Amino acid sequence: MHSRISIVTVIAILLATGASVANPGGNGDADRDYTCGGSCHGDPALSTPSDGTVSVSVDSTIFSGTATAVHVTASGMSLSGNRLLGVFLLGSADGNGDHPEDHGWSIVQDPNGGSHNYVEVVVPSSGSVTMTWVMLAPQTLGTANLFVATHHGSNPNSNNWAYSGLTRGYTVDVQPVPENLPGFAFDWKPETRVTGDTSPTVIRTTNTTSVSVQWMLEGEWIPHEAEVSGEGDEWHAQIPATIGDTRIQYQVTTSNGEFSITQPWLTVATQPAPFDGDIWDARLQGLALALLVTAFLLSLQARLSPWEGGPAPDMTLEVEAETAPPEPPGLEPKGPGEEVAYLARLVKYDEHPGVLWDPVEEEWVDDPDFGGDE
Amino acid sequence: MFGAATFHAAMAEIVVGSMVLASLCAIGCSVGSIFPNILGGRLSSERMMLTMDKASIAGASLGLAFIPIAALSGSFAADNTVNNALLYNKFVYTGLAAGFWAAFVIGRIRLGPRLWEHRSLSVLQGATATMAILMTTMASSIGGKLVRGESLFDIMPIWLPSDSATVLNPIVSIVLLLVGTGSLFAVFKLGPKAERIEAD
Repeated sequence: MHSRISIVTVIAILLATGASVANPGGNGDADRDYTCGGSCHGDPALSTPSDGTVSVSVDSTIFSGTATAVHVTASGMSLSGNRLLGVFLLGSADGNGDHPEDHGWSIVQDPNGGSHNYVEVVVPSSGSVTMTWVMLAPQTLGTANLFVATHHGSNPNSNNWAYSGLTRGYTVDVQPVPENLPGFAFDWKPETRVTGDTSPTVIRTTNTTSVSVQWMLEGEWIPHEAEVSGEGDEWHAQIPATIGDTRIQYQVTTSNGEFSITQPWLTVATQPAPFDGDIWDARLQGLALALLVTAFLLSLQARLSPWEGGPAPDMTLEVEAETAPPEPPGLEPKGPGEEVAYLARLVKYDEHPGVLWDPVEEEWVDDPDFGGDE
Repeated sequence: MFGAATFHAAMAEIVVGSMVLASLCAIGCSVGSIFPNILGGRLSSERMMLTMDKASIAGASLGLAFIPIAALSGSFAADNTVNNALLYNKFVYTGLAAGFWAAFVIGRIRLGPRLWEHRSLSVLQGATATMAILMTTMASSIGGKLVRGESLFDIMPIWLPSDSATVLNPIVSIVLLLVGTGSLFAVFKLGPKAERIEAD
């Protein structure tokens, strides 16, 4: 019975590892070609087409070098236990050189506040998630394509498959920008702020004589006006600090008297304050704790174990026995052999019940079998 | 050649594997001595206790010897930088694990195999081994969190604090280090001498 339980337990533990796949915790946001999706996950034995639906919303015509928003909505896919979804925004699906920037685009901001073409998001319980990339259109005129690829898992996932999906190419017609159109500088990317930082957000522009900024918390409907200062091509907008998990969105309107362009909504990218410990702090602290714990436990062991100089055990009875004065002569306690010899010499007479005759001491003594002691 | 991360993984496996054996056997010894009738007395039989005692001291000694190697290789694998609380806590938990295991091994060597016959010492050794394996698994689970983003602790009800770290000022750490060293000196040289427990 016990061996059966042991075998079942071992098998259960081994089977439990099957729920784990290559990178269940994701790989983090990064700049990636479609190669990542086409190499490991391209093997038909390791992957299967995604069962989700991906839709992409992007203006079909945009001016070169101007900002545009690319909205990607993924829904209906199976997900692993941590509900992680990896999404690529690509300029092609060749396997290399697929990053949008290889095709002339510039990513101003990704859905997580960075500027990567691959992001990982946790899909809410609704099963649908919308992500927005804010991009600057290529400087080269003509048509440009955008593809979206997705990676996700499934729960349960008995085959350990990676689920991957790839959309069709969404064609964007890049038109020549009207002369003197105000907008973001092509190489500008929003700065990442540390949580609690109230320093102004720097915005760099081209062909712009004035800038206005509106901001609102994610989920709010009515935006607030931000104070903006600056001139030329660099502007400073006073947007409140982000605290905790709150996300602040802001929208920049660039104007020059001739045009006024409302740019796509951006997110204030925030990151936790940098960690203030270093490796020597960690080593010292670890070593100090090791020594303290060892010393404490060793002293406890010494306290609980028999040790020289410790509290002496209670030996009162033994000491009293050793130091007691000797019994008077004739009253010394008899040993077991003496007792037997003493009883053997006693003579019993029927006419004197209850007593025995001691011929040595020449006296009558009580018969112990009769109930008397002596 | 192979990377520091690969070497670290191998060393960590040796540490965790031998420590698991050591802690299971130590807890077995402790339980067997406190509840002699458990499992029909088979756990507390002399042969079983002797086997578990030897396995626990062997596993703990092996693991303890490999902890510094695992810690150093892990440090190299992280490019000798600590830039987040998880990594910092990995060092702290490694230090705590080393402390508990060192106390376990030293105590067992000083007091001898008959320490399990003393109820209070048996409880202390069992508790030390439990804490030691908890610290060891926390340190190794943080490694899983860092590399793979998941850990077995994710599905367990126990998860000690690791997402935020208490970073002590180096001066405070040095003072604690000196206090620890002084305490060890006091325990070994000035305090009561723990004697090897012999048969009655």
